[in-house]
Amino acid sequence: MRDLERRYRQLLRAYPAGYRQARGGEIVGTYLDLAEPDRRWPSIIDVVDVLAGGVGERLRAAGAADLIPGIRLAAVLSFITATALAGFWGTAEVVTSSASWGAPAFGPFATTGIVVWGCWLLAGAVHVIAPARWARVAIGLALFLTAAVVPIAALFELPRPYLFVLVPQVTLGLLALAFPAHTARRQRLTPLAVASAAALIAAGVLSGKSSWFYRFNYGGAFLPEAGAVLLLTAMLAAIVLSLRGDARGLWALLVLLTPIGLLGLYPLTENIVGAGHADFRVITGTTAAIFLLGGTTLAAALAIRARSSATADTLAVRLHERCPNCGK
Amino acid sequence: MVDAPLREPTFWILTALAGPPMHGYGIIREVAALSEGRLSLRPGTLYGALDRMVDAGLIEADREEVVDGRQRRYYRLSTTGSATLAGETERLRRNVKAATARLGALAPAARPIAPRALGGLA
Repeated sequence: MRDLERRYRQLLRAYPAGYRQARGGEIVGTYLDLAEPDRRWPSIIDVVDVLAGGVGERLRAAGAADLIPGIRLAAVLSFITATALAGFWGTAEVVTSSASWGAPAFGPFATTGIVVWGCWLLAGAVHVIAPARWARVAIGLALFLTAAVVPIAALFELPRPYLFVLVPQVTLGLLALAFPAHTARRQRLTPLAVASAAALIAAGVLSGKSSWFYRFNYGGAFLPEAGAVLLLTAMLAAIVLSLRGDARGLWALLVLLTPIGLLGLYPLTENIVGAGHADFRVITGTTAAIFLLGGTTLAAALAIRARSSATADTLAVRLHERCPNCGK
Repeated sequence: MVDAPLREPTFWILTALAGPPMHGYGIIREVAALSEGRLSLRPGTLYGALDRMVDAGLIEADREEVVDGRQRRYYRLSTTGSATLAGETERLRRNVKAATARLGALAPAARPIAPRALGGLA
């Protein structure tokens, strides 16, 4: 057995054992047909493709094949929310005054967040004009900057957005990477259009205010409000799609529960957890609790779906075994 | 029951199979050729789509063979798949007809703009 074939067969462990046994030879054969003659390792694209195919097949076996389309729907809503937040915070970085209250500044801007939000808005523009793979690269870059701004700001003693602003942005961005590859240009314009509206709101309510806007006044309340809008939108999509017999919306709602919870980090840490000034430990602890809760809810929904699917299969087999004439 | 409109990969796979039966590698190459390179399927995506299409009754397994030690399963369009592809093609044809008619009506009004702009520049 060639090295390449052996490596593809190892990757195929992502698939359920039964499926692998029945279809593994055929799938590996197709990968080998497509590979260049001198290739010894599967390409990154093939690794992702095998893993995605395996996860899809496992979900299908568990009766939750519509989870992937649900994640794609959640990704679209996440990307719209992430760019809207970038529009809001980016404008706030520009229109707020850093002189009052002796707030630290980053050149003419309030904090180093201007670079992060600029990159998110750039990702929104790339999403409109370039193929999906370039939009994913732009989102990846924005994600990197959103995470990197924390150590960089600490290293150079520069002001940065608070963690309760950055953590939901990273989570929304990670989910946004799963957006569908083929969408109409009109739909791809939505994130930038919503970001522009959010920018107008920021310009209206935060102009001339102190650059402490991230914590106080309207700025501090914006994230939970955005979370409430996202929750209502996801619930509406779930209801409308469910009426058509499509479970995508329900899965999208379940997947979005984690980022929606994280958008409420500010009131959660300062009002519910009781930390007057939420430090790194409180923020990470609350974030971990939200991830755990969101993950457990999704896992429970998958388990319920798998059990009901298995029961339905058993019933179907029992009905099939009955005498077609007398039903016994 | 298959929802209309068909997703792009489903449409192209059905189109590729509207002929002699094909194996996975053949379908990938045929889809790339038919879509003029706009759709490049990978095996993980392809076999997921093929499974869903078999479940929906759009395609059927035709036969299996081993070539150069590689297992190949051939797929063919079912009667339902053929009817679904015909229905989708008709729907797209009507869309193209309506859009072409609208663009045709728009063209005479748009025409005078170009000479005026050019004249202004000159």
